[in-house]
Amino acid sequence: MKLNSYTLLFAFWALIIMGLVSCQKQNIEEPVTYNTTAYDFEIPYGFPTMLNIPDDNPITVEGVELGRYLFYDGRLSGRTNPDEQLSCSSCHQQQYAFEAGIENPNFKNGHPRGFNGEQTHHVTLPLMNLIWNNSAYGWNGNVFKGNNNGNLNNIEDIVRVSFMAENEIGTDTTTVVEVLNSIDEYQKLFEKAFGSSKITFKNVERAIAQFVRTLVSSNSKFDRYLRGEEQLTQSEMNGYVLFTTEEGADCFHCHGGGGNPLFTTHLFYNNGKESTFTDEFDRLFISGDPMDRGAYKATSLRNIKYQAPYMHDGRFKTLEEVIDMYSHSVLITPVVNPLMHHANTNGVQLTPQEKTDLLNFLYSLTDEDFINDPRFAKPNIMPGE
Amino acid sequence: MKIIRITSFIIIILISNYSCNNVPENKSFGKLELVFSHSVYADTFNYVNEAGNRFMISEIQYFVSDIKLYTDSKDTIVLDKYKDIHYVDTDIPDSWTYNLDDSIAIGKYNKVSFTFGINEKKNISRRFVNPPESFMFWPEFLGGGYHYMKLNGKWLDSFDHPKVFNFHLGIGQNYDENGNIISFEQNYFEIELESDDLVIVEGKLTQLQVLMQVENWFNSPNVWDFNYYGGKIMQNQKAISLACENGHDVFLLKSVAYKDLN
Repeated sequence: MKLNSYTLLFAFWALIIMGLVSCQKQNIEEPVTYNTTAYDFEIPYGFPTMLNIPDDNPITVEGVELGRYLFYDGRLSGRTNPDEQLSCSSCHQQQYAFEAGIENPNFKNGHPRGFNGEQTHHVTLPLMNLIWNNSAYGWNGNVFKGNNNGNLNNIEDIVRVSFMAENEIGTDTTTVVEVLNSIDEYQKLFEKAFGSSKITFKNVERAIAQFVRTLVSSNSKFDRYLRGEEQLTQSEMNGYVLFTTEEGADCFHCHGGGGNPLFTTHLFYNNGKESTFTDEFDRLFISGDPMDRGAYKATSLRNIKYQAPYMHDGRFKTLEEVIDMYSHSVLITPVVNPLMHHANTNGVQLTPQEKTDLLNFLYSLTDEDFINDPRFAKPNIMPGE
Repeated sequence: MKIIRITSFIIIILISNYSCNNVPENKSFGKLELVFSHSVYADTFNYVNEAGNRFMISEIQYFVSDIKLYTDSKDTIVLDKYKDIHYVDTDIPDSWTYNLDDSIAIGKYNKVSFTFGINEKKNISRRFVNPPESFMFWPEFLGGGYHYMKLNGKWLDSFDHPKVFNFHLGIGQNYDENGNIISFEQNYFEIELESDDLVIVEGKLTQLQVLMQVENWFNSPNVWDFNYYGGKIMQNQKAISLACENGHDVFLLKSVAYKDLN
């Protein structure tokens, strides 16, 4: 009798615990049936914790490995002549912070041309720290979450557009898949990353986007200064003060600083560099707000040394020219952004020494580890080679 | 044995209720939220201040913190103790509503108060790492922490030429004759909003419609002349101080509404 009571009690508890466990499982999705390795993503000191990782494209070691191959593979353009092959890396080169680069021999003045020989609307933007961009992509922000055009929401969509645009890679999804199917190693890589050797363009988008999200720059001299590991020179420090003060150059309101180490807000500003506007693909084109005429993304100033040419149309070849513009040639127009308060005096009016200091500070944002990181470089051997 | 069985039964009932999240709402409590709106917000020069400046506002971004409720008997209830700081941005509609998680005892209250900005204990650099709050950082050299407010716009100068201004409030600085910073000034201030209708109702959400009367920043007690103060004041403590004096009456408790809690 005593044993029976304990047995009953045990059974009762077991039923309750089973009930609780089953209750907790109600909202848990079925696990994927293939094995991937979660990518160990470390958030650098001071960086945002909100990451732009779509629910349907978590970052995995296998996905990143595949994405890196795809990013660099010119064969995906479907052309056999090496001179006609284009890949993401044709316009996004690591040595230029994943921009095209002003010294790129394939593009005059650093402005990319696609397969049809036409220039892209704007010069390239750098691919770095995009995992922290929860705002919008592109100079005018045409790709953003919540876009009514459901095909332009995130990095995955930029991959697709870049492959298909005639003034970029200039191919089609069928060709890409056919090329990949012809290379046995790719089928294995897709199986590892997505659980199926059946190659789809959707998974091409996903893999490249995963790789791009791992392109993190967080070890410039300025980062090490913020972490207390290294001191800035007096000139760099003077430049930093200028960068972050209203009475100085006041760059920080749009480009960040110690409190926003991305060195961009990913927002859009008319910076007063012109008074007539001829580019129909400015921010106004996206927002419809007349005050956005001539407004473009405030780009990240990380690795700005390698980002020439500067501005959406690449009008400035050197950082010195950019600083001169902000110093003496800011135009006040009905659409200039109010944060450009120095437009009231045509610019921030820096002295030659101040310009040097500001330039030295900007150079302290250079992250040579990022520029030379072998994890981001073209693999030594591509699949099928 | 009987005691074990009874105890087990009680524990089971408690666990079952807790785990299934079926705790009934305590009906002797209600909730509170503040909904902020802004009287001047347009991209045209439609507004004129006491100094005769025609101006427009492009965006307003600010922090409120330390929200409290007061009873007639002078009791003070500190709300939202853990989050404690709310960001409002005219470009982000979701930010206009400050929904407080607290379950508040029902009854009549006579006023609500909050800090405009953030006090020195909480206004610490890198407190916020995520945007949009992180975009409000106030440079370390100028005192650190975060802007209390960014209010950006344009005005027409004496020649009717458009000029741009940043009316930015935060920690001020005192400078010596050589232009070196010798000390900092905290400029946050308290806002108190009184109402006879400030009642927390059982099972209801009391919604306070709070209007920022933007023009008041430029009118009283100090007449703000953009032609004098220019387009920037972050490094002008005297100007920030005058602006903050004007800020005491910018908020108006427009109305109180009561909504059913979901």
